Amino acid sequence: MPRRKDIKKILIIGSGPIVIGQACEFDYSGSQACKALREEGYRTVLVNSNPATIMTDPGMADVTYIEPLTVDVLTKIIAKERPDAILPTLGGQTGLNLAFFLMKHGVLKKYGVESIGSSVGAISCAEDRNLFKKAMQEIEVEVPKSGIATSVKEGMRIGLDIGFPLILRPAYCLGGSGGAIAYNKEELESFLAKGIEASPVHQILVEQSVLGWKEIEFEVMRDCADNVIMVTSMENVDPMGVHTGDSIVVAPAQTLTPEEYINFVNLCKKIIRKIGISGGGANIQFGQNPDNGKIVIIEVNPRLSRSSALASKATGVPIARIATKLAVGLTLPEVMNQVTSKTTSFFEPTVDYCVFKICRFTFEKFPYAERVLNTSMKAVGEAMSIGRNFKEALQKGMRSIEIKRYGFGADGKDKISDEMLKKADSVLLKQIKDKISIPNDERFFYIRYALKAGLGLDEIYRLSHIDRWFLDNMKQLVELEEEIKRYKNKKIEDEPNIPQELLVQAKADGFSDIQLAFLLNAKEEKVRQLRKKNNSRAVYKLVDTCAGEFNAKQPYFYSTQETKDEARPSRNKKVIILGGGPNRIGQGIEFDYCCCHAAYALKEEGVDSIMVNCNPETVSTDYDTSDRLYFEPLTFEDIMNIIEIEKPIGVIVQFGGQTPINLAVALREAGVNILGTSSESIDIAEDRKRFKHMIDKLGLLQPNSGTVFTFEEAQKVASNIGYPVLVRPSYVLGGRAMEIVYDAELLERFIKEAAEVSGEHPILIDKFLEDAIEVDVDLIGDGETFVIGGIMEHIEQAGVHSGDAAMSLPTYTLSPDILKKIREATYRLAKELNIVGLMNVQYAVKDAKVYILEVNPRASRTVPLVSKVIGVPLAKLATKVMLGKKLKDLGFAEELIPKHIAVKESVFPFNRFPGVDVMLGPEMKSTGEVMGIDTDFSSAYIKSQIAAGQKIPRKGNVFISVHDRDKRDVIAIAKKLKDLGFNLFASSGTASVLEKNNIPAKVLPKITEGRPNILDLMKDGKIQMVINTPSGRIPRQDEVKIRSQVILYNIPYTTTIFGAQATVSGIEMFMKKDLSVKSLQEYHKIKGKKVK
Amino acid sequence: MKAILVLEDGKSFNANSDLNSECFGEVILNTSVVGYQEMITDPANAGKILVLTYPLIGNYGTAPKFNESLKVWVSGLVVKETSRIYSNFQAKSSLGDFLKEKNAFTIYGLDTRTLAVHLREKGPLFGVISTKEFDPKKLVEKINQIKRQPAQTLLPEISVSKLKIIGKGERLTVLDMGVTNGLLRQLEALGYSLNIFPYNASVKQILSINPKGIVISSGPENDPELTRVAQNIKPLLGKLPILGVATGCQVLAAALGVGLIRLKLGHRGANYPLARPGSFKGEITVQNHGYVMDYDALCKVKGLKVTAHNLNDHTPEEIESKSLKLIGVQYNPVSAGFDQVNPMLVKFNKLLSAQR
Repeated sequence: MPRRKDIKKILIIGSGPIVIGQACEFDYSGSQACKALREEGYRTVLVNSNPATIMTDPGMADVTYIEPLTVDVLTKIIAKERPDAILPTLGGQTGLNLAFFLMKHGVLKKYGVESIGSSVGAISCAEDRNLFKKAMQEIEVEVPKSGIATSVKEGMRIGLDIGFPLILRPAYCLGGSGGAIAYNKEELESFLAKGIEASPVHQILVEQSVLGWKEIEFEVMRDCADNVIMVTSMENVDPMGVHTGDSIVVAPAQTLTPEEYINFVNLCKKIIRKIGISGGGANIQFGQNPDNGKIVIIEVNPRLSRSSALASKATGVPIARIATKLAVGLTLPEVMNQVTSKTTSFFEPTVDYCVFKICRFTFEKFPYAERVLNTSMKAVGEAMSIGRNFKEALQKGMRSIEIKRYGFGADGKDKISDEMLKKADSVLLKQIKDKISIPNDERFFYIRYALKAGLGLDEIYRLSHIDRWFLDNMKQLVELEEEIKRYKNKKIEDEPNIPQELLVQAKADGFSDIQLAFLLNAKEEKVRQLRKKNNSRAVYKLVDTCAGEFNAKQPYFYSTQETKDEARPSRNKKVIILGGGPNRIGQGIEFDYCCCHAAYALKEEGVDSIMVNCNPETVSTDYDTSDRLYFEPLTFEDIMNIIEIEKPIGVIVQFGGQTPINLAVALREAGVNILGTSSESIDIAEDRKRFKHMIDKLGLLQPNSGTVFTFEEAQKVASNIGYPVLVRPSYVLGGRAMEIVYDAELLERFIKEAAEVSGEHPILIDKFLEDAIEVDVDLIGDGETFVIGGIMEHIEQAGVHSGDAAMSLPTYTLSPDILKKIREATYRLAKELNIVGLMNVQYAVKDAKVYILEVNPRASRTVPLVSKVIGVPLAKLATKVMLGKKLKDLGFAEELIPKHIAVKESVFPFNRFPGVDVMLGPEMKSTGEVMGIDTDFSSAYIKSQIAAGQKIPRKGNVFISVHDRDKRDVIAIAKKLKDLGFNLFASSGTASVLEKNNIPAKVLPKITEGRPNILDLMKDGKIQMVINTPSGRIPRQDEVKIRSQVILYNIPYTTTIFGAQATVSGIEMFMKKDLSVKSLQEYHKIKGKKVK
Repeated sequence: MKAILVLEDGKSFNANSDLNSECFGEVILNTSVVGYQEMITDPANAGKILVLTYPLIGNYGTAPKFNESLKVWVSGLVVKETSRIYSNFQAKSSLGDFLKEKNAFTIYGLDTRTLAVHLREKGPLFGVISTKEFDPKKLVEKINQIKRQPAQTLLPEISVSKLKIIGKGERLTVLDMGVTNGLLRQLEALGYSLNIFPYNASVKQILSINPKGIVISSGPENDPELTRVAQNIKPLLGKLPILGVATGCQVLAAALGVGLIRLKLGHRGANYPLARPGSFKGEITVQNHGYVMDYDALCKVKGLKVTAHNLNDHTPEEIESKSLKLIGVQYNPVSAGFDQVNPMLVKFNKLLSAQR
């Protein structure tokens, strides 16, 4: 059926900041949707609070709003833009929830807006547990026994009725947050309280546990003519009990018979019809009892999801694009399959490979969190790998997730050695068994240990419930590993000596050169040479949606070991862009944004772009972002294989974050042309000694520092430069294992930690500049002209990682004199490093002096933000510059200071890690960011806070408890709050300071000393905001308790005095005038001020 | 042990096998991810060398209930990797043991993707798989020798030798050219007593049981005996409701004087979309054929309509004639899960019920 003509303007809702459970997959789906709608001639309006996305690029939609995603703001945008329809199915749970609440508040009706893609009825049916259960019962689809509770009491009754173990799921929660498994009465009671609180509608599902059952998913699409297709099946290797977002998943399902498969398909069709999706897609999750095949439905997501992004990348079917077209009334047969260009979307893709998805966790960032996986998602990112068999895909997956592993163990990094495993005692065996039976992020390595220690498949199955088929494949790898080890060299200098057939088999089963080198006790380089000599090389096969049946026009590639290469490299001039791999804290969507822009720029310049990445969530791994896409791990071996086949004119390493930067030197040594800033300059910036030398040469300032390898050296350096000091490993991103240390005792502890992360690289010790103001500068250079993109002032004082700090662009307190110094230093550094491309510099400003903290000769996290605020696509320009263009010719030769102000705020995953302190420090903890933009700082700041999820109060009670050094500053804050009509509560210390300044505040007893204390008040909903600055490096127990309660009850909070100041002036603004909305395109119409 | 696959154009692939053997046949591809046991026991694949494009085979083992017939009919099976264990509660044995028991020749460990692409580009090819001879030239020569011999019919071996009756109810004739258990189960579920006749049963024999209608089953395509079957059923057209399934449908076409066209690459898999003229609603179907009916010729048959075509290449998928009381489906009308009967069989059932 032709597309709908009765709608003209469509509002697309994005998913907001990257959080656990909602990552770049929604940028990918939103971007595809924007493109699809414009192709059909609709006018598009987009709203998203996340500036780091491709979808919020001003060219993607006709009108782009970077505004908080709240009902209030959306209502304003709807009133202003008057769209005919909203498309809420591309913006994850956030988009769906917003549409639901817009409907509930009558906004959709008032403005005559229709919800397309998923009707409001369909959303309610899938999301409301009661309606869903009823609907499933009507079509005789079994659901696990369950009941819905709105109170703890009700939940207890239902739970005891069903019997333990029980699964608890709060309604309307993304990524299953607040979900838990209860094994007994106490657990049930405590989880019920948390879950009811976590659910925005205060509903929780108490359900029969199907732990250990198979978890099978289907991606289903249906159009308005009732055509239904299965895009793919997926099987979770981790059975029921681990959130699918945390599970290892394979596509297609590996252990289903045709009969079971067709039964699942039958159920999927029934379900999607019943839910009422008639122009879109859904992800349907089932549990299946492995002993008798009994099937229960777990849930339906009536929208694009993380799983659908995975299914898209796994099969080559652009689900978001198709779903969008279906949403406007087209049918599946009318939408062409652009990969084959011979089939339509009414075609069930079939594959001739195995897809493996593995998750990236960051437990190391939250040392106090329990390292356990359950039904509440904890992964921050994922990687996808493709192989011709499961073993190859598994090994590639393991080396894709950037945990410094190069396969399924056997890479020299195993925690438990073969010798120990051979003579494993009961203690070790117990440890291994526990690690297998209680799901965790290291489980698969422990399965390997178990196999090596002689545990049988049945026993491992009994412990893990991981299907024996997967376990046996792992066992095959272990057996092969043992076989390879028989050819181990005596001396590492020796030539590797392995029979050709065994080598071929090892490569076919995914063993990396590093693994082979380790097993053979040889050098990696020698293994590589041997392979080349024996003509054992990777070939590339296609993701073509059809298992080779059609000659695909726009496929993408994966490596494997077969007889024929199908890569068919073109003879055009081409450039390889190295992506960033899986999202993790410190490296996320911002870098993917830059990689995409590199591809766009290459296209504009007539150069073929070749993307290498393994992150299935991203826009960069979309089939039409680059000319060619290689879905591969980002390791030296995998990249070199591609380079040898493609022979590009150069490789871009600046955009993918630290992953490609870390490979720059090795690639250069292998003779690869690194485009842009030389790898020599990269090394100067990364190597502290060389860096220090450069700073001295340029006459710039740097906090006193030293480079050390041992604790003894560290102690000497620290006492020389004086405490506090900042300790960190070199060559890491996101401030991993970075700490501010106040004395020698703590120093010892952190040196140990840092040494573990840093590996062979040295550890850095810097003087920590307390109370300094930090500044981030992004610059672009072409080797001749250098232009500052933006100078951003941190709102929190120094010591908070720049990835976590809130920032203002342009700066809001710095004097012209300081800005001049910053500009001078930046240009001098850029010239010295001969920057061709992007550079980021971090400064600390103290006592009118400007200290250089760090120089990164690559795209920084703030590039997308700066680009959007000043209206100049920096990453695109940087790419062109790398190809030899000059900034003068590209029309960007002077710094621009915008007339508007943007504030970036970070978003944290604390709610996923119960009990973790929310304090900010030099180790980055945020997963994503939002932007508030307005014409004054206070409005921009408060928008950023609202966008980050803070429920900013207009009245009520504020609790204040600050560290002694903040007490002077808190007076003005408290006074303003009082004047604005808030009631103040305070700890005794803070209260006495306030009293002295005639600001009345009610004193609350210490938690251990009396009740009602602050915890009670928070629980009763009597506290609307908390200002609590930490009392020292090691926080006091009650402070931690207060701060973790703040997360539990979602009370706005700030842990820094600067944050508190900004928040309070924001509230003042917020109370005076209503927040207004304005599109990016409107902001860009007003030209910024040029600075020479 | 080492094995080799050689195609008639000389292209060869090295592989392994557990059985010392040699066999010939047309090399066909199937793109389904699951269903290996059904495919190799489907008589429609008799004499073929079957290549599975999905690389991981045998994962869920085998069970007698999944057999489409009692025998393995393919001449050889070609896969990338066979699973050494199986994992499914229904499984009774591994694929390896099943094949060994049936003495079926399988080779594995070859680049099936490259083989698939080669077949896509070259069109239908004859081939040989062997563990006895490794010289491609000699093997091509052997292929040519076999190809020079007149085509042999497989139907006498495949079909029942005498009338076989299953199920209770009104009588339905099934002309067995290699009928699958999957089809029989569905017909039985419709409540008929199935009278399964040998493929060459005469009109007299068929009518002797006074059936409500006739089902012409699927089976090997392009068999020399098929013309005879077509001649046999021609007098029945318009007299009794007739359903032709896959090759059975091609037989119907032949009886109507409609010829067949060979596809460059057969439709073999579980993902073929069909469209119905005048409707946006289509169907995803399971197919297994290398020939299609001549669309233009079908259009010339009076009273006959092509009610569905393949969405990708517009070849005919369903034919129907009220006056001739016939329905033909080129695809395999498989159950839609939970033993539900395929809608086309339900439609045929209505046609049957409408009689008298």
